[in-house]
Amino acid sequence: MNSIAAYRRKISPLLPAGFLALVMLPLLLLPLASVFIHALHGGLGKFMAALTTRDALFAIRFSLIIAFCTAAVNAVLGTYAAYVLSRTRFPGREQLGIILNLPVALPNVVVGTSLLLLWGPIGLFGKMLEPLGIQPMFTVFGVLLAHIFVTLPYMVGSVRPVLDDLQTTYEEAAYTMGATRWQTFLHIVFPALRGGLITGALLTFAHSLGEFGATVMVSGNLRLRTQTAPLYIFSQFEGGNIEAANSVAAILAILSFVLFSLILYCAGKSRLKGARR
Amino acid sequence: MAISPILRRRLRLPARVAAACLGLAAVLWTIWPWLPAGRNERPRTIILYGFGILEQTITKSVFPAFRKKWKAETGQDVELISSFAGSGTVTNQLIMGVPAELAILSTELDAQRLRQAGVIATESWKNLPHGGVINRTPFVIVTRKVNPVGIHDYSDLARPGVRIIHPDPLTSGAANWAIVAEYGAAVRKPGATPEDGKSMLLGIWRNVVAQAGSARAARTQFDNGFGDALITYEQDAIGNSSRSVSTHEIIYPRSTILSEHTLVVIDPHISEEQRELVLAFADFLWSEEAQRLFVKSGFRSVYTRLNPANQRFGTIRDPFFISDFGGWQMAKRTIIDATWKNGVLKEIHP
Repeated sequence: MNSIAAYRRKISPLLPAGFLALVMLPLLLLPLASVFIHALHGGLGKFMAALTTRDALFAIRFSLIIAFCTAAVNAVLGTYAAYVLSRTRFPGREQLGIILNLPVALPNVVVGTSLLLLWGPIGLFGKMLEPLGIQPMFTVFGVLLAHIFVTLPYMVGSVRPVLDDLQTTYEEAAYTMGATRWQTFLHIVFPALRGGLITGALLTFAHSLGEFGATVMVSGNLRLRTQTAPLYIFSQFEGGNIEAANSVAAILAILSFVLFSLILYCAGKSRLKGARR
Repeated sequence: MAISPILRRRLRLPARVAAACLGLAAVLWTIWPWLPAGRNERPRTIILYGFGILEQTITKSVFPAFRKKWKAETGQDVELISSFAGSGTVTNQLIMGVPAELAILSTELDAQRLRQAGVIATESWKNLPHGGVINRTPFVIVTRKVNPVGIHDYSDLARPGVRIIHPDPLTSGAANWAIVAEYGAAVRKPGATPEDGKSMLLGIWRNVVAQAGSARAARTQFDNGFGDALITYEQDAIGNSSRSVSTHEIIYPRSTILSEHTLVVIDPHISEEQRELVLAFADFLWSEEAQRLFVKSGFRSVYTRLNPANQRFGTIRDPFFISDFGGWQMAKRTIIDATWKNGVLKEIHP
């Protein structure tokens, strides 16, 4: 009798988890598994061969570099935006916050198109820059611009809640002691922000790594020049090279898994710190 | 499991060092080609935008042959920077301003769009050899193995219940060729009228179950098990070794069109120092060597004497060309716009 109760206690938490796994199986787990199955379809040798072609290597490296730069730029830009939105009061503040978050809801293709129509050779800025011999679209700069635009909300979204929760009394205390705004930010606000900042940067990195819609519009999809890993996957899939497409897709999946594990770890850590404080 | 706190603290430092090393290695690997040590002398480049099915042929066989030739003649390395998509998509990208030096388009229609948009000043492709046409390929029907639905000609595609995969005329050159092929096959029958062409299109387009952005994408859909029949380039059906050849059958219609693919030199994008190299590659496309490579990968050469070299080419009883319909401008007006877009489509989706 007792043993059955113990058995039940052991089993019962597994049931909802089992149900979740069952629901997720056709939705997410099996499609993900099929990426790996198709990637490894022809054996490990073929998988490695598909990964080490010049185009594939370039696409992966290019994506990583763009993701890093995007995260770096947005760490500064996003934190500044979050700070302004959280610490200053001005008319239209909420509306500005909403507008900053729009790229999450807009199809990324729209973001790409709008960038193209503004900065491209037929756009307003593009026309002004053309006599100077500057053409930002269809270059690395264009890709970076699109990624910054698309991922900014994730950075703001990670930092702003921390700022909103942070009591202003610490800052006020600093000010009364004669600290400047910058000193206060550096010594009081920034240390508290670190967890949110790292989480936001990793989120930005991950989103940039997988960005497709805006990139396909602004990059010109040139292999060995502006082709990111997702664009490479799409091109290969369209060309019927399912194995090549899935090899790179598998790498992206693994990278994302590692990144999100890191995000969870960082988020957990900063929450612990918060609890201690 | 139970690691003592002291041991855990001792483990922390090596673990951190290991993680840092791993991170550093990843960063180093990522930026390696851009470091002074990892980088060779920068090769010269040619930027080419092409329509979908050319990708394999250009990047794997024709360009490598040119690179070898150029290296032998000048000692310089050349690299091809390229992008391939549906012909209409490529044209839209070019109009948006991508920095292409050369473009190979599926239809002359797209070349004309480039001129209208001012990307090129004149219809300069007409001054190239063969009016800019680098190669041809007839339109065929692809069915599943042993042809279970019994399709032998375009007219069979108009039968109720046949599920057709067709590329999208908005972005795909192949789709435009296919519409003229379907229409032409009907009106070339003795005693036929333009009305027969329209009812053929009506029958076929009622059966279209999926439209893909390009011939390549349509082919991928078909390979993944959608539809009973696919209308596509013969080259795509026979030339691509990476495709699953064993699971499908190629049906040669009695009458069908041979598509002609146009090279456009985007003059305003070619700098003085690039001109010689870019034009050399353009010329090379009409060299016997390149034309033989086209034949080998399933395209029909503009020099018809080279074509017997590929035994997989099928025979077509009544081949025709776009010139039989007065050229692309005329065909676009009468067949694509008047008959298909404003007639057939409106009747199917009123």
